[in-house]
Amino acid sequence: MENSCLLSWIIFTPLLFAFLVMILPKSMEHLFRKIALVQTLVSALIATYLYSRFDGGVAGAQLTHLVPWLPEWGINYLVSIDGISLPLVMLTAFVGPVAILGTWPDLSHGAQLKKEKFFVMCIMALQTGMYGTFLSADLFLFYFFWEVVLIPMFFMIGIWGGKDRIYATVKFFLYTMVGSLLMLVAIFWLIKTSAEGNGTPSAAYETLSGLSFAFDGSSFGAALTSPQSLLFLAFALAFVIKVPMVPFHTWLPDAHVQAPTVGSVFLAAVLLKMGTYGLMRIAIPFFPQAAHYFSSVFIALGVIGIIYGAFCALAQTDFKKLVAYSSVSHMGYIVVGLFSFQKIAIAGSLYQMINHGISAGGLFMVVGFLYERLHTRNLEDFGGLAKVVPLMAIGFMIMTLSSVALPGSNGFVGEFPILLGAFQVHPFFVLFAGTGVILGAVYALKAYQMVMLGPKTRTDLEHLHDLNCREIIAMGVLTVFVFGIGFFPKTFFWKSDAALDVYSNTLIQKVGTYATK
Amino acid sequence: MLLNEVFPLNPLSGVELLSLTPLFILAVGAILSLIVGTHKEKGHTFAFGVAFVSLVSCLFVYASTATISDISILGETLIFNPFTKTIAAMATGFALIAVVLTYGQDKKEGLLSEIYALIQFSTAGMILMMSTQHLLFLFIALEIMSLAIYIMVAMRRSSRFSAEAGLKYFILGGLASAFLLYGSSLIFGATGSFQLGTINTFLLAHNEPSFIFYVGLGMVLVAMLFKVGAVPFHGWVPDVYQGAATNVTGFMGAAVKFTAFMALARICQNLVFVDNIVALKWFETTIYVIAAASMIYGNFVAISQNEIKRMLSFSTIAHTGYLLLGLYAMKLGEESAQSVLLYLFFYAVANLGAFAVISQFEEKNQKDLTFDQISGMGAKHPVLGTFFTLFLLSMAGIPLTSGFIAKYGLFSSAVYAGEIPLVVIAVLTSVVSVYYYLRVIVYMFMKDTTSEAATYQGLKGAGLAAFLSAAATLQFGLFPRAIISFVKMISK
Repeated sequence: MENSCLLSWIIFTPLLFAFLVMILPKSMEHLFRKIALVQTLVSALIATYLYSRFDGGVAGAQLTHLVPWLPEWGINYLVSIDGISLPLVMLTAFVGPVAILGTWPDLSHGAQLKKEKFFVMCIMALQTGMYGTFLSADLFLFYFFWEVVLIPMFFMIGIWGGKDRIYATVKFFLYTMVGSLLMLVAIFWLIKTSAEGNGTPSAAYETLSGLSFAFDGSSFGAALTSPQSLLFLAFALAFVIKVPMVPFHTWLPDAHVQAPTVGSVFLAAVLLKMGTYGLMRIAIPFFPQAAHYFSSVFIALGVIGIIYGAFCALAQTDFKKLVAYSSVSHMGYIVVGLFSFQKIAIAGSLYQMINHGISAGGLFMVVGFLYERLHTRNLEDFGGLAKVVPLMAIGFMIMTLSSVALPGSNGFVGEFPILLGAFQVHPFFVLFAGTGVILGAVYALKAYQMVMLGPKTRTDLEHLHDLNCREIIAMGVLTVFVFGIGFFPKTFFWKSDAALDVYSNTLIQKVGTYATK
Repeated sequence: MLLNEVFPLNPLSGVELLSLTPLFILAVGAILSLIVGTHKEKGHTFAFGVAFVSLVSCLFVYASTATISDISILGETLIFNPFTKTIAAMATGFALIAVVLTYGQDKKEGLLSEIYALIQFSTAGMILMMSTQHLLFLFIALEIMSLAIYIMVAMRRSSRFSAEAGLKYFILGGLASAFLLYGSSLIFGATGSFQLGTINTFLLAHNEPSFIFYVGLGMVLVAMLFKVGAVPFHGWVPDVYQGAATNVTGFMGAAVKFTAFMALARICQNLVFVDNIVALKWFETTIYVIAAASMIYGNFVAISQNEIKRMLSFSTIAHTGYLLLGLYAMKLGEESAQSVLLYLFFYAVANLGAFAVISQFEEKNQKDLTFDQISGMGAKHPVLGTFFTLFLLSMAGIPLTSGFIAKYGLFSSAVYAGEIPLVVIAVLTSVVSVYYYLRVIVYMFMKDTTSEAATYQGLKGAGLAAFLSAAATLQFGLFPRAIISFVKMISK
């Protein structure tokens, strides 16, 4: 495998498999899920190879692959990887097989596969979009993949979702579209500026991040209407809708509750990270002044999100909705971390992206296990399951602990540095964010207690099957990551250090020069 | 004396005749179609064959004469340069797809075999219109094109909707043509020329043309805005789109819109975007307002439609708005003109494809396909469903499709021209458009079939047309470089 094409292999392998599935006849339907598993495993293998080839000592982009696409407009197929995108690519690669294994359809009770071919193709196309988003080094390409991700997700929720799936999926699509089209206008503006500066237009991150835009911080009105702020807000809006940050979060509970389990897992584990990745990669470093100026607004909204999400989660009786709101809450930490402009918090945010992917993915899988067996998600319908399904109870417990950021679990590795870093600049906000940790423990343990402990509410719960082999493997992999990252974070994240170091130094230096001016 | 000034006639040279060949081919082809169309059993097939061959040979002529240097005939009246030849060839290409789409559809809808001749006649009108710089010629070309279209719209004889649509279009279109003619004569009175180029030179030299110039210009613009279906001259669009047979709607939505818009762009470039005349700013502002109004009106009204052709007809008004945004930006940059051309081309392709798919599911003389009728269509006809999805995504401007590249180019050139407020309106209204385009996809793929589901008509022509359009939509969406550099080259 040519090194320069390695990233393209990662991006397009799922698509190749999607074509394979497309040409196979419908009579081979029972094989499609297995092909998907093979595809995700192949992707994970390539990703592992990529990890081994990745040079942790280099801060900048590596393994760049450039193919001219529309050079007249300054647009190229340009992919590269650095320490910030590496963990996200690995996350996508490992969530893939876990999600497929953990949501294997149970056909023992006469259930029928529904449009299996299209479903599997959607899963594959989704992965191509996600890899592409994380690996693009060209803003146009980023936007291209960013939008492409919407289409398979739209179909996944809309065709295989629950009762209100159409409402949920259209809402999901439109919310994302509003943000991303404004982002598109901002992209035009950026490319235009690059053309004015260099003579030729360019959409490469490298060129665009070097541009500077006028910013006037003398008064709030002047700051708001400065070109840099407008650009920043256009990008930030697109990204915070995806994160989602309060008050743009309302699509998320709907989408999660209606989505099929595998869709929820991908959505929570990877899709939401596209938003925070965008903030980290584009919105903040491209427009540091504006980002710094508005940082308290974003931190405030992030903190509100943490607390509001936690309270909403506390009030839910629908298990899946509870987990969805917990996502709103936990993603708030990442926003707080990124906008605190503190080295340690920024690193924590990147870790938290991965950790939330693991814990939220795991929790959604637990919801899926229960729903597959009992066809209900109402918390009041469960109870006392720990004795019936001990393995599931253990898996659930581990994911819960990870979610509440218990020291020793991966969640702690993410949230603690964020709070630590943010405390240095916004102690007041962080005080509130800290209460979110407690609230998080309250709702997560409440959910655990209602499902696994206490008296049984129904007699049919006696005959519940415990996790089967596939599900054990899926939960097992996640468990390894939960404790692996929890105890040995360096082992997992050391390759990001150089990139994070340079990233935060540059950022803080830029902001610092403004501050002293 | 005056006649000689208006039409300076000289004998034609060989090369000049060669440039006119497509027109000859189409005229002969049309008459041949009429004759062979009278055959009792195979009239339709023969007429189709003749039309197909004549359009293909037109394209062939365009391809083989591509390298011939610029030619202008009858003074500067007809201009054949790479640009006009390319847009004429594009219109011919749309006509070709429309002919393919008509095949099979003709018998189902009871269209006479004359439809093939009419398509060729109107294509000839389009080619003339693309190549002329002369207001009177423009009028003649517009009439050649439109008269054929009026008949085509009214041709579904057993359907009263078709007759209504035809009559409505004819009367309103006639009024618009009268505006064009009278406006041209006023412009001639004020500037002494029908030639757009000459008028432009005149305007550049005179900072204050007489008042009747503005009246004339206003009338010409009204006529052209009517033809492209911009708000507030859009009233005919939904009824005509709905009443006409679907193949005719496809042809109108693609080729007629393409041609009329190119003519409008040319008029604006020469007569409106003249910087030294202050009063013309008012016209620019009017175009700005019309662009915004078209986007907003078209998109918001399309939401509430329950019939697909009607929904697409309102969306076409919105697309006119986007194009007018590009047109408005044209006053500042060449790139905008290229983006407008690309947008028109890609939109026309998606439009033809969409109507091809619709025609596969329409019963004879059915006014329109409702959303309920396509419920669950995606599961039963996955290929057509995918094609339709592709066309709708293209119109919505979502990546993978050529529509995204087109929208990107158009909006970015408008941003380059500094029209950010209008672009923001365009962007926000296109979110609205995403909603109603998605609605079709939702019905197709996410709802179950109902008892009133439309039956598949199995038209081979429409299937082929849909396939061609889908291939083009995907090809240009993923690998747009070739066509973009081509458009750039010919625009020089």
